[in-house]
Amino acid sequence: MAGLRAFIISRILLTIPMIFILLTVVFYVLRMMPGDPVIAMLGEKASPKLIEEMRAKLGLNRPLIYQYIDYVIGILKGDFGKSTWTQRPVLQEILDRFPATLELAIFATLISLGIGVLGGALAAYRENTVIDLLFRIIGIVSYSLFIPWFGMILQMVFSVKLGLLPLSSRIDPLLRPRRITGLYVIDSIITGDLKALESALAHLILPSVTLGIVLSGIYIRLTRNNMIEILRQDFIRAARARGVGESTVLVRHALKNTLIPLLTMMGLQFALLLGGAVLTETTFSWPGMGTFLLERIDYRDFPAIQGTIVFYGLLVALVSLIVDIFYAYIDPRIRY
Amino acid sequence: MKFKGALREFKRAGLPAYMCLAGGTILFVIILISLLAPFIAPYDPISSVDRPLLPPSRKHLMGTDLHGRDVYSRIIYGGRVVLLISALSVAISLTAGVPLGLLSGYVGGILDRVLSLVMDSLYSFPGIILAIAIAAMLGSGNLLNIAIAIAVVYIPMYFRMVRGQVLSLKESLFVEAARAIGASDITIMFTYILPHILPAIVVVLSLNVADAILTEAGLSFLGLGVNPPTPDWGFDLRDGKRYLPSGYWWLITFPGLMIIIAVIGITLLGEGLNDLFNPRLRES
Amino acid sequence: MKVEKVFGLILVALVAILVIPAVPAHSESVLVIGTTDKISKLDPAFAYDFFTWEIFNNIDEGLLKYVPGTLKIVPGLAESYSVSEDGLVYTIKLRPGLKFTDGTPLTAKVVKWSIERVARLGYDVSWFVTDFVKKIEVVDDLTLKIVLKQPVAFFPAILTLPPYMPVSPKAYPENEVVDSTVSIGPYKIADWKRDEYLILEANPNYYGKPPKTKKVIIKFYKDATTLRLAIEKGEIDIAWRTLNPVDIIDLEKNPNLNVIKVPGPYIRYVVINVRSHPLDNVLVRRALAAAIDRAEIASKIFLGLVTPLYSMIPAGMWSHVDCFKDAYGPGPNIELAKKLLKEAGYSEKNKLKIELWYTPTHYGDTEVDLAQLLKQQWERTGLIEVMIKSAEWGTYTDYIERGVMPVFLLGWYPDYIDPDDYIAPFMAAGNRMGSYYESTAVDGLVLKARTTLKRDLRTIYYIELQGILANDVPFIPLFQGQLVMVTKKNVKGVVLDATMLFRYWLVYKA
Repeated sequence: MAGLRAFIISRILLTIPMIFILLTVVFYVLRMMPGDPVIAMLGEKASPKLIEEMRAKLGLNRPLIYQYIDYVIGILKGDFGKSTWTQRPVLQEILDRFPATLELAIFATLISLGIGVLGGALAAYRENTVIDLLFRIIGIVSYSLFIPWFGMILQMVFSVKLGLLPLSSRIDPLLRPRRITGLYVIDSIITGDLKALESALAHLILPSVTLGIVLSGIYIRLTRNNMIEILRQDFIRAARARGVGESTVLVRHALKNTLIPLLTMMGLQFALLLGGAVLTETTFSWPGMGTFLLERIDYRDFPAIQGTIVFYGLLVALVSLIVDIFYAYIDPRIRY
Repeated sequence: MKFKGALREFKRAGLPAYMCLAGGTILFVIILISLLAPFIAPYDPISSVDRPLLPPSRKHLMGTDLHGRDVYSRIIYGGRVVLLISALSVAISLTAGVPLGLLSGYVGGILDRVLSLVMDSLYSFPGIILAIAIAAMLGSGNLLNIAIAIAVVYIPMYFRMVRGQVLSLKESLFVEAARAIGASDITIMFTYILPHILPAIVVVLSLNVADAILTEAGLSFLGLGVNPPTPDWGFDLRDGKRYLPSGYWWLITFPGLMIIIAVIGITLLGEGLNDLFNPRLRES
Repeated sequence: MKVEKVFGLILVALVAILVIPAVPAHSESVLVIGTTDKISKLDPAFAYDFFTWEIFNNIDEGLLKYVPGTLKIVPGLAESYSVSEDGLVYTIKLRPGLKFTDGTPLTAKVVKWSIERVARLGYDVSWFVTDFVKKIEVVDDLTLKIVLKQPVAFFPAILTLPPYMPVSPKAYPENEVVDSTVSIGPYKIADWKRDEYLILEANPNYYGKPPKTKKVIIKFYKDATTLRLAIEKGEIDIAWRTLNPVDIIDLEKNPNLNVIKVPGPYIRYVVINVRSHPLDNVLVRRALAAAIDRAEIASKIFLGLVTPLYSMIPAGMWSHVDCFKDAYGPGPNIELAKKLLKEAGYSEKNKLKIELWYTPTHYGDTEVDLAQLLKQQWERTGLIEVMIKSAEWGTYTDYIERGVMPVFLLGWYPDYIDPDDYIAPFMAAGNRMGSYYESTAVDGLVLKARTTLKRDLRTIYYIELQGILANDVPFIPLFQGQLVMVTKKNVKGVVLDATMLFRYWLVYKA
């Protein structure tokens, strides 16, 4: 285990410079934006004196390098700056919206993994049959379903024409459960609030199914490819020869080994998940970080935009850290 | 004689070959249509040519939009922008990512560690989000900016893949042989190693192009892409969305289908190539 | 075989979940309003946008207020008020015993503090105080005197506005802008998730009549199409600002819905930066004004829901004259435009090249269409080439400030119902609409019109000013908007008048 501990420590240490690089890139590129947040905030009628005062108050009139230092120190302390549109701390605003994206991401991932792994496994098991072809087609077509288009179609069919599901947003405002985690499904289960649970789930279905189906394609393909290779392996043949039942062969031996290589693609998947979430959120007016970013761009709320990008970066760094450690735990060869 | 042999090879390859054929054909057709747009399109895509919001008819195969523009012509021209930006951004990612990956993997040492660190920092960052922020920063409407925005996030992908391949090939026999005959490092990298990596690059390329098409369409859909009245599938989708509840279905159906078909095409090609280059998946 | 069975079962389960019907209807005591507007900040010292002011009008009350359905101004939080002979001193007596929802009592000191705070914090909206008020004196616990810099004919209208609404000093800090939910009017805020929803409940502390509906939920929608679908599906009771024209037309045919249309003093116009070449040539500006086809804009893009406007002062307001129609005809006057352009030295070989800017979301989804149509109209002269550009609202306002955009689209909702609000911010000294128009003659006229108390005299001044406007063309008025509200058939009590104030407390469901 010593090797693992050393790996974990060195991997965590590595995350720090990585985050710094991201922060720096974000900071400098964003400062080159056309448009002045101070003007947007104060309006056209403001006097130049007022503008200068506000600029000073926001610290935007100091040399770039001092702003950078303050910015980095701020982030270390957890201060992402104040929104120029709402005057609230940016971190607070992001954290207000984060659970929505998290909830969508979790459910979308469950659905995409469900369809993906099951479908891919089935296709691999029944290689070269119609089922295999069907799932391969689904695997290719589903990723191509442009999210705004696909989501819109599902919305028109299931919400408007059939009236089965709500149109948009997260929950009926009067039914919101007491906030414990910010994830409505979890919170309503904890507080035993059945009505809230029903409303939250109903609102979740369309967005997470949309995103889930689109992302499932990749999992289908990956699982299928991995599984086919595994099923050909000697140890599977050996297990069958030993008389182990088919389902045990499949689940315990084949599936387990299939899933692990999926982790290598985790980084990419997570990126696709977060990115796909932005388009999904827009389509369903889901109040998450994606829609937050887009709104704030509209208002040239530059601390909020910067803070959101940084937050995404931190999130990504954290997830890749966890995945790398987990992978090293499972596969000792990786610990360099 | 040669043709018959090629045909036999093709049939033996089976499904993957057909996939490549199908995908390649789709792409070829789209590229062809885009290139020949001025000759094929029946109307000028940016002028109003008829009454607005007409349903598909013989005169207007895909109907007209709010401004009375012919949707069919806009679809034909729309491919140009999408392909141009996707191609441009992939080209940028390639030209930056591949040589850096070659260099980093081959030379190793501090250069490698620093470059890897930088690339890893940007690697799993969601492409469209960075693209949104950069497009908003550098201004939308400028084709080059949009392409750069999309390109930045894919550079690490090529870098990583190329570097990984270089690392495993660095110590192989033919490279040692090349060194033995006195070939310079640069020659070794580009004339010996690179050709071996090409298949892998091509596969990533197809994934990249698919993603670039979707990201460009996404940016335009969010209003951060091209400026009107430039025809663009993503933009037309955004414009047309407003009229769907009133029953004007043709405004979103055709742009949406085009995006999907284009991505299916490139994905088919990529999947087929992937299968072909990785023979382990063929019946043993 | 088994594997397929498992898979099939899962599929069936998923489909079964879909059949959970999940759209609960709300009872009669809850009113749900959907809108695409947003709240900026719940602080009268900061907020200068239509919707936040609407919220203030419902959760707070002004010193004075309008009688719903009219332009008559009566006391609000004030019990009575009087104006001195010279029009400079307003003496206001507050109602006794009023308290904010946090328990703070309303006194003259609190009113003075609130108004001075708006001026002190110095945001955009502070001009309402700094332009007019010289000083405020507290006479006693319930009486205060507002002393003006010069007499202002429409000052009572100003006193109805949010910058003059008192706020609780316990809830609002001296020198900082915050969101606070403490209020004193008919409703209080029970819950608020920014850009998602706002829940209002009847305020038990309110001195006046309680609202007809105890609970109001406002749902914020991100685009007009979803808003339309929401009212169609019955997820909301009222759809208010801003539906797409094509959706309004459809909804009118819907037997289950009421579409209420009231002409509103909301104007849209083109701004011309008179400093930028070649628009510094007045002939060019006049040509642009002549070539516009307002009827086409109104019918093609807004499907007849707006009316062509020929002056910056909206039709229906006193002193309005169709000054642009008088000068250039009802339009399009291509011949005149061509003549003017040729006079300015342009020809087919040497075309006038201009940029037209618009902002893609702030004025609704139709803006991009409007820009493209204007381009077409101007290019019909054969002597103009238009390049269309756009910028998001924040950048847009920045560019206005810096004089970056030579020709651009803008809109205006009145702050108070008086011609001054449609002339002074545009033509008088210190105007910041991006036209950089300067004229001492105009400045003199505006001041006279503002400080004269007799309406017929003021009318003469405003007519003169409109004439100058049509002559110098720093702006080209395009059209005047309607307010459109769509409600379920069982929603009653909606009063929409020229003040554009939507009063929730009058609405109820039958």
